[in-house]
Amino acid sequence: MIPIALYLAVAAIIFSIGLYGLMTQRSGIRILMCVELMLNAANLNLVAFSSYNGDLTGQVFALFSIALAACEAAIGFAILMALYRMKDTISLDHINVLRW
Amino acid sequence: MAVENYAFLIPVLPALAFVLTFFLGKKLPNGGSIIPITAIAISFVISLLITLKLLANPEEVVSQSYSWFAMLNIGILVDPLAAVMLTMVTFASLLIHIYSTGYMSHDKAPSRYFAETALFTASMLGLILSDNILQLFICWELVGVCSYLLIGFWFEKPSAATAAKKAFLTTRIGDVMFLAGIIVLFSDLFKIFNGTIPDGVYILRFDEIFAHIPELAAMNANILGIEVSHITLITLLFFGGAVGKSGQFPLHVWLPDAMEGPTTVSALIHAATMVTAGVYLVARTFPMFIAAPDSLMVVAYVGGFTALFAGTMGIVMNDLKRVLAYSTVSQLGYMMLGLGVGAAIGAEAVGISIFHLVNHAFFKALLFLCAGSVIHAVGTHDMRQLGGVAKVMPITAATMIIASLALTGMGIPGTVIGTSGFFSKDAIIESAYLFGDTTGTWLPYIFSILAALLTSLYIFRLIFMTFFGKPRTDYGGHESPASMTIPLSIFALLSLFFGALTSKTFNTFVSETFVNDFVHMDIHELATLGGYHLAEHGGHHEPLIILWMPLIVALAGLVIAYLVYGLRIVNMDSLVSRNNPIYKLLYNRYYQNSLFTNFFSVKFIYEGLAFAGRATDRGFDWMTKWFSDLALEAGESLRQFQTGAVQNYATAVITGVSLLVILVKVVMEVI
Repeated sequence: MIPIALYLAVAAIIFSIGLYGLMTQRSGIRILMCVELMLNAANLNLVAFSSYNGDLTGQVFALFSIALAACEAAIGFAILMALYRMKDTISLDHINVLRW
Repeated sequence: MAVENYAFLIPVLPALAFVLTFFLGKKLPNGGSIIPITAIAISFVISLLITLKLLANPEEVVSQSYSWFAMLNIGILVDPLAAVMLTMVTFASLLIHIYSTGYMSHDKAPSRYFAETALFTASMLGLILSDNILQLFICWELVGVCSYLLIGFWFEKPSAATAAKKAFLTTRIGDVMFLAGIIVLFSDLFKIFNGTIPDGVYILRFDEIFAHIPELAAMNANILGIEVSHITLITLLFFGGAVGKSGQFPLHVWLPDAMEGPTTVSALIHAATMVTAGVYLVARTFPMFIAAPDSLMVVAYVGGFTALFAGTMGIVMNDLKRVLAYSTVSQLGYMMLGLGVGAAIGAEAVGISIFHLVNHAFFKALLFLCAGSVIHAVGTHDMRQLGGVAKVMPITAATMIIASLALTGMGIPGTVIGTSGFFSKDAIIESAYLFGDTTGTWLPYIFSILAALLTSLYIFRLIFMTFFGKPRTDYGGHESPASMTIPLSIFALLSLFFGALTSKTFNTFVSETFVNDFVHMDIHELATLGGYHLAEHGGHHEPLIILWMPLIVALAGLVIAYLVYGLRIVNMDSLVSRNNPIYKLLYNRYYQNSLFTNFFSVKFIYEGLAFAGRATDRGFDWMTKWFSDLALEAGESLRQFQTGAVQNYATAVITGVSLLVILVKVVMEVI
């Protein structure tokens, strides 16, 4: 059996990649992808713990979070599409209408 | 049904009369005076019947209590003390009301006048009937309100409005003390009961209070480094209230100014209501006072000093009513002194003091009504403009002289011949002597003797200046109508004979107040509690000169007044000049008016209040400004966080979550 530490290590690496992307990328799409990465890292952890403890709760949580992530991504893309139509760009540096 | 069951009607009827007169009086002839007169007449009959019943059997005290807020109650108590007061108040008030129908006939608002006097009488009767200290306080305040309304009856006159305010505010000082006393008493009793009051026990009812005097005396308080028992503290605070209401030094300043109201109001305030409330309060709570070593001493000193002090001012006043006002202050001092000497003679002091109170009510009401009669006919109350009024108004003059004889206490010691004042005032002076004899404190006695001299001097000065000699100005005048002279005559008869008729029974009757089933006090035991040893009262062992002393000084005063103001052997103009420093001091009433009004109230209170108001104003301005600035700046700085850049928000979220995780970790470690 593969030790749990490996799962956690992989999840940590994926999470860090996601976090890095979230902080550095300018494109809205990429940022969304990075968020997905982070969420999946968390899901990986959930499933790993679930399997390790012989308890299904974690897997159920993972399913929920995948479903929520899909919804979020759909809404996020819709917003980005709308923004693109208005501003001809999806670079978040240029989209700062909320700024004071 | 027995008459006791209607005792509650005694204050209720005049209160009802107040409402009726207030709303219907304008439509009735003479301001609807018939309503209060009828109501008070019925009250008088009930009071008299109860008093007669009590006289036959003093044990049958009327006591009815109803629960009010669990441990408090409202209720009535008619014991001998209350019965005597009730009868006197209803009677004097009745005659004054009848007299007022004549006196107020030319006034613009007689219905307002009669409504207010009815309420005044009702409040006073309620005060007397109360069987608990809280209800007494409520009526006490009502009396204050009525005095304010009546003194300022002619409110369009600025001086009347000022006098009303002054009376209200000055007595307020006393009222606050009284209330403080009640609060201390209440919390002490609460402590004694350990906070659990059994059902049916009303802790502020007099019997309950008196039953716990020993415990109260055992509780000590430390005030400014002086150890005093709680009973001393409470009684002193109560006496503070009495000082305010009864115009004792130094809170007497409102009483002479109270002359701004109609003369009949002065008669009502000075004879039956209001000012006697303070004396009644001390008499009612006398068992508490006798257990307080120092309080009675204070009462005696303040009373004696007030009697003398007011007398000195009485001899220089030129206003008929003002002389009488100072006379009242002085006589109230006597009553307080009478109670104060309880340290020497025990419960009998209450009898003596209340006896003087009742007698005083009759002759002081008479004096005021006579003065009113003169003012009504002549139109001035400046004695310097009068003179020889006796020729024009023989009945008024005769009754006034009778009242003056009663006031000075003319009578032959050792016999039953004497005016009513003789029996009560001399008793007080003799008790003051006994007080000096047992306690070694002679000052109150000296005060009382000197005050007797001054009393005689100022009242006969008034008589000689007003009624005898040649008229100084052309004032016309006529005898007053029968509605005024008949009450005068009745009062005159009482002033002459009431003392002689009742002197034997009065004292023993009132003393029954403290030994009946309701309270059942052993005054001697309570006195030992306070460290007194009451004098044995078997026969008078005073020297003969002490018995004759009051008469001698009264006659001396009469002779001096006759020589100076009757024969006018001394040219008063030189003496009375404004350059004579003593005259100036007395005439300006020891400058207390300037002191109290101009310095104390104007400089101290008004400016103090103005300063406090300004300071508060600025404080609030500053505070609101500070708060609004804070909100603005907080908003301004928070605005900076909203960059609109997604990365910044993400950073904030990540940092926050990281910090949270670390925090949780640390907390878990600690736990």
